[in-house]
Amino acid sequence: MKTVVIAGYARSPFTPAKKGALTTVRPDDLAAATVRALIERSKVRPEDIEDLILGCAFPEGEQGLNMARLVALNAGLPLTVGGQTINRFCGSSMQSIHAAAGAIQMGAGEVFVCAGVESMSRVPMMGYNPLPNPALYAANPGAYIGMGDTAENVAREWGISRAEQEAFAVESHKKAAAAQAAGRLADEIVAIGAVREDGCVRADTTAESLAGLKPAFSEQGSVTAGTSSPLTDGASATLVCSLDYAEKHGLEPLAKIASIAISGCRPDIMGIGPVGASTKALARAGISVADLGVVELNEAFAAQAIACIRDLKIPSEIINLDGGAIALGHPLGATGARITGKAAALLKREGKRYALASQCIGGGQGIATVLEAL
Amino acid sequence: MAEIRKVAVIGAGVMGAGIAAHVANAGIPVLLLDIVPAGAENRNVIAEGAVAKMLKADPAPFMSKRAARLVSTGNVEDHLDQLADCDWIVEAVIERLDIKQDLYARIDKVRKAGSVVSSNTSTIPLDVLVQGLPERFAADFCITHFFNPPRYMRLLEVVQGAKTRPEAIESVSRFADVTLGKTIVMCKDRPGFIANRLGVYWLQVAVVEAVDGGLSVEEADAVVGRPMGIPKTGVFGLLDLVGLDLMPHVNASMAKALPAEDPFHAANRDLPLITKMIAEGYTGRKGKGGFYRLNRAGGGKVKEAMDLVSGEYRPQRKAELELPKKLKDLLASDGKAGRYAWRVLARTLSYAASLVPEAADAIPAVDEAMRLGYNWKFGPFELIDQLGAAWLAQRLAAEGMAVPALLTLAGEKSFYRVEAGKKQYLGLDGAYHDLLRPEGVLLLADIKLNAKPLLKNGSAALWDIGDGVTCFEFASKMNALDPDIMALLGKALKLTAKSYKAMVIYNEGGNFSAGANLGLALFAANIAAWTEIEQLVAAGQETYKALKYAPFPVVGAPSGLALGGGCEVLLHCAAVQAHAETYVGLVECGVGLIPGWGGCKEMLARWAANPKMPRGPMPAVAKVFETISTATVAKSAAEAKELLFLRPGDGITMNRDRLLADAKARALSLVDGYAPPAPADYILPGESARVGMVMAAEGFHRRGIATKHDLVVAGELARVLSGDGADISKPVDEAHILEAERAAFMRLVRHPGTLARIESILETGKPLRN
Repeated sequence: MKTVVIAGYARSPFTPAKKGALTTVRPDDLAAATVRALIERSKVRPEDIEDLILGCAFPEGEQGLNMARLVALNAGLPLTVGGQTINRFCGSSMQSIHAAAGAIQMGAGEVFVCAGVESMSRVPMMGYNPLPNPALYAANPGAYIGMGDTAENVAREWGISRAEQEAFAVESHKKAAAAQAAGRLADEIVAIGAVREDGCVRADTTAESLAGLKPAFSEQGSVTAGTSSPLTDGASATLVCSLDYAEKHGLEPLAKIASIAISGCRPDIMGIGPVGASTKALARAGISVADLGVVELNEAFAAQAIACIRDLKIPSEIINLDGGAIALGHPLGATGARITGKAAALLKREGKRYALASQCIGGGQGIATVLEAL
Repeated sequence: MAEIRKVAVIGAGVMGAGIAAHVANAGIPVLLLDIVPAGAENRNVIAEGAVAKMLKADPAPFMSKRAARLVSTGNVEDHLDQLADCDWIVEAVIERLDIKQDLYARIDKVRKAGSVVSSNTSTIPLDVLVQGLPERFAADFCITHFFNPPRYMRLLEVVQGAKTRPEAIESVSRFADVTLGKTIVMCKDRPGFIANRLGVYWLQVAVVEAVDGGLSVEEADAVVGRPMGIPKTGVFGLLDLVGLDLMPHVNASMAKALPAEDPFHAANRDLPLITKMIAEGYTGRKGKGGFYRLNRAGGGKVKEAMDLVSGEYRPQRKAELELPKKLKDLLASDGKAGRYAWRVLARTLSYAASLVPEAADAIPAVDEAMRLGYNWKFGPFELIDQLGAAWLAQRLAAEGMAVPALLTLAGEKSFYRVEAGKKQYLGLDGAYHDLLRPEGVLLLADIKLNAKPLLKNGSAALWDIGDGVTCFEFASKMNALDPDIMALLGKALKLTAKSYKAMVIYNEGGNFSAGANLGLALFAANIAAWTEIEQLVAAGQETYKALKYAPFPVVGAPSGLALGGGCEVLLHCAAVQAHAETYVGLVECGVGLIPGWGGCKEMLARWAANPKMPRGPMPAVAKVFETISTATVAKSAAEAKELLFLRPGDGITMNRDRLLADAKARALSLVDGYAPPAPADYILPGESARVGMVMAAEGFHRRGIATKHDLVVAGELARVLSGDGADISKPVDEAHILEAERAAFMRLVRHPGTLARIESILETGKPLRN
C-alpha cells in the first residue's frame, strides 16, 4: 500500500466570530486565500492535484452549494482539479484528510488539498433553518442536544470541577500566548488582507478572571464561556499526497499517516468521542499512548478535554504544545485540518516519532489520526 | 428661510452630547466637538467618549444605533473648519463668559454666512454673550435652551436678542419644532428664562416651607405630587434626581442675576442640612443617596428617607395625610398638609403671575414651559383657574401677602376660557385672545371643543376631523382594549366606509394603548366564562380583519406605549404614522399568553416577506419566535421599524402635536386608487419547526433565563408560529393561523401559571416570573 504523507499545512488567523477581524470576510474567500497560500508554500504543481476536499460543519448560505468547487475556482486552481464539500461537523476537515488518504491508497489520485473552513460570524451554528425530526427528537432527544449541555454532562459524569476546567483553560491561553509571542505560530498563518494574527488568545487570562463568569449553558452548571472554545472564523488547509509523489517532486513531507479511526458514542456525552476513536487508531497503528510524543486534542470544552486526557492517560506535557481551541478558537469545519497539520508540524519540530490528533464531534462521535515521523 | 441640513454642537457634556444625539435621531448629520484635554493621545477623546457613553446610557439618548452613526466627532483645535458647512451651530460649553466669547470669535471666522449660532446657556443673558462681537454675529445669534435629557424633554426655550434676525429665529424654531419635535417657548432675555426661573423658585420654596412647617420628605412629596399634578417625585425626589449639589450653584447664579426686589431672595436661604449632605457626598441618586436612598448595608435592601430634623436616615414611611381630592379643598383645609400646600402654592403662583410680562409675553408661555420643562400636568395659570383667580387674590390679601397685578387684572375672570369652540387666554390688555396653534398642529382636544362625536360609547369614540377623514379614539381607562372598543371599531369601519374616505386611529392619552383589558379577562376566567373569553378573542380577530381589509385606508397614529392588542391594531393598519417616542411590542408572553388578535399572523407575514432574511422556511419563524417569546418592546419608532412592528414605509413624526395632522395627511395620500391588501399565504414548516423552537426554549430554561411557565407559553407560541401542523408543501391561509392563535390563547388562559401572572400584574404591576 502507498504511504500517505502530509506535505504542507497552513491556516488563516483564527479570530472571534461577530467581533473579530475576519467577521466581514466571506468563508469561501477565506478558504480560497488559505488554499492558495498552501499551494505556493508547498511548491506542489497545481495541475497534479486530484481534488479539493473541504470540510464545513454548516454548509449553507455563503458556505452553501458545493463550496469546495467554488473555492477551487476562486483560488485559481486548474479546471481539472475537483472539489467536494464534506461534513462531519467538527471532524469535517480531519475527515477530508482521511478521505484523501483512502483515495491515495486506492490509487484514486496522488495529491489532494484537504481543507476546512467555518465563518461562525456569517453562518450561525445550527444553520439558518434548524428543522429537527420530531419523531427522532421524541425518541432520542440527545440526537439534537446542544454542545454546551454535553459538556455539562461530561463534567458531571466524570466529576470535573469548575476550578479544574478553569486551570486547564488558563494553561491553554498561556501556551498559546507564549507560542504567539515567540513567533512559533507565524509559519503556519496565512495573512488575510492585513490580518496576520490570531484574535482569540488572551494572555492575561487568570483563574480569578474566569471564576467570575456565569455558567453559559446551565444555571447550576460548571461550564462557562471561559472554559469553552470561542465561536471563531477561520480556515485551514493541508496538502496530502503519496510519499512517492512527494519524493519525486521535491516536496517536504512533515509526517506520514499511520492510522485513522472513527468511533461513535452517546450523543449526550459527545465530548468523550476521542477516547474510542483514539483507542482504535492507536491499536491500528500498533502503538500505545506511551509511544506518543505529540498530541493535538481539540479543546471544544475544557471539561471534555480533561475527561479524554484522563481516560486515555495522556501525559499533560505532550498535549497541545502551542495551545488548544479554548485559546486559539474553534472554527468548526477548519479545526480538523488545523490539529492534524499542526500535529505533523510539531512532530517534525519536536523530533518525536508518533503523534495523535483527535477531536470530539456533535451527535456523538470521535475522530482520530495517528501520524508517524518519516 | 434657510433650511438646516447639518448641525454642529460644541461641548460634549451631558447637554451638548444629548442635543447632538437628538439631532441625529431626527436623521440630520451632526458634528460634535469638544476640547483636546491636556496630554491626550486621542485628541477627540471627549467627544468620542461622550458618544460611547450615550450608547450605553438608559434611558437611551439615541433612538437607534443607526442614529449614532450620524454623529461625527472631533475637537475644536483640529476640526473647527468643519463648521463651514453647518447651518446651525449650538454652543453647549461651560458657563463661563470668557470661554464662550472666545469660542464665538473663533466660530465666526469659519462659519458660513447665514448660519445660525445659538447658546444652550441657562444663566448668561444674551445681551452679555454678544457684547463686543461683530454685528453680523449678533444678527445670527440666539439662545436655544434645551432641557435634560434633550431627547425626552419636549421644551425648547428660545431667546431672541435685540439684534437677532427674525429669519434666524424662524429657521431654528421651525427646525426644532418640526424636525426635532420640540415645543418652542419664546422667552425674554431674563435670568433663568421661564421654566427654571419659576421651577428653581418653586423648589426652593417647597423645601424651605417643608422644613419650616415640620413636614417629613414623604409628606412634602405627597402634598406636592398628585394634588398639584406634579410628577410623583414631588420636590425632594426631584432634587435627588437632578443632584443636590446643583442647587447651591443654581441658586447663587439666580441670586446674582435677579434684582434686589425679586421675591427669589426671600426664599433663597441656605439650609444647613443640605450643605452637610452635599459635603458628605449625599448628592442624590448619582451620589451615596439623597433625601431618599436604598440602604444595602448587610446585604439588605431597605428604603430609607432623610429625617429633616435629625439629619439621619430612617426607614421610609408612607405619608399619613388626609388629602382632599380637589386642590381648592386641600388649600382650604386646616392641617399640616393644607397649610403647607397653601404656603407653597401661594408663593409659587404669585411668583408665576409676576413673570408676565417680566419673562414671558403672555400666560400660555409660562404654562407651556412648566408642563413641558418640569412635567407639571397643569401650568400655574391653569392651577389658578382651578382655584379661581379672585379666590386666590382674596386669600393672599387676607393673609397679608402681596397680590400680583395680573391677578388683580383678572378679577373675577379665569385665565383660560373656551369661546365658540376655541380656547382663549387672558391677555395683558384684559381681553381674551385665541390660543393659536402653529401651522401643521392638529389636536383632537381642539376638535372636541367644537364638535360632537360621530359615534361614542364608554370606551371609544369616532370623530370627524375634516376632509373626509374620521378619527377613531380609544377612551377607556389606560386605553385598554375591551369589547366596547371592538364593537365601536366595527361600527366605525362601517360608517367610514359609507360616508368617509379614510380613518386615523389616534388618541391623546399618555399611551396609545397598553393592550387588552386584563382585569376583564381575569374576571371572566375566575367565573370560568370560557365561552365569553373565546368570543372576545374571536371578536378581536374579526374586527382587526375588517380593519385590514377595509375598502379605505386606515392609518394608525401611536404615541407612547402600543403593546399587545395595541400593537396588533397597528399591525392591521394600511399604514402607520408613529410619534418618534412610540414603544411598540407584543408583550403577551409576559402575562402567560400569546398574541391572539392576529399579531402572530401579521409578524410572520412581515418577516417572511423581508428580503434581508436568509432563505428557507425557518428564519422568519425563528425571528418572530424570538421577538414575541421575549416580549421585546421597541424603545422608539425607529427601533420598531427594525423589529418590523412598523414597515419601512411607515412615517415617523418627531413632534407629538403634529402627529394627527401627519397621520391625516398620510391617510389622504393613500385614498386615490386605494385597494385593500391581498391575503397572504403562509409556507410554514410545521412540527419540525415547533420542535426546533421548543429545543431552543429548553436551552434557555437550563441556563436559567426562561422559567417553567415560560416553557409552557413558548411551547404554545411555537405551535402557532410553526403553522400548527402545517407542512412546507402545503401553504396555509390566515384563517388557519388565526384559529391556531385562538386555540393556543384559550389553552393558556385556563392555565394556573398564566392566571397567576395576570393576577400579579393587576395587583402589583410587576410581572410574575413563575
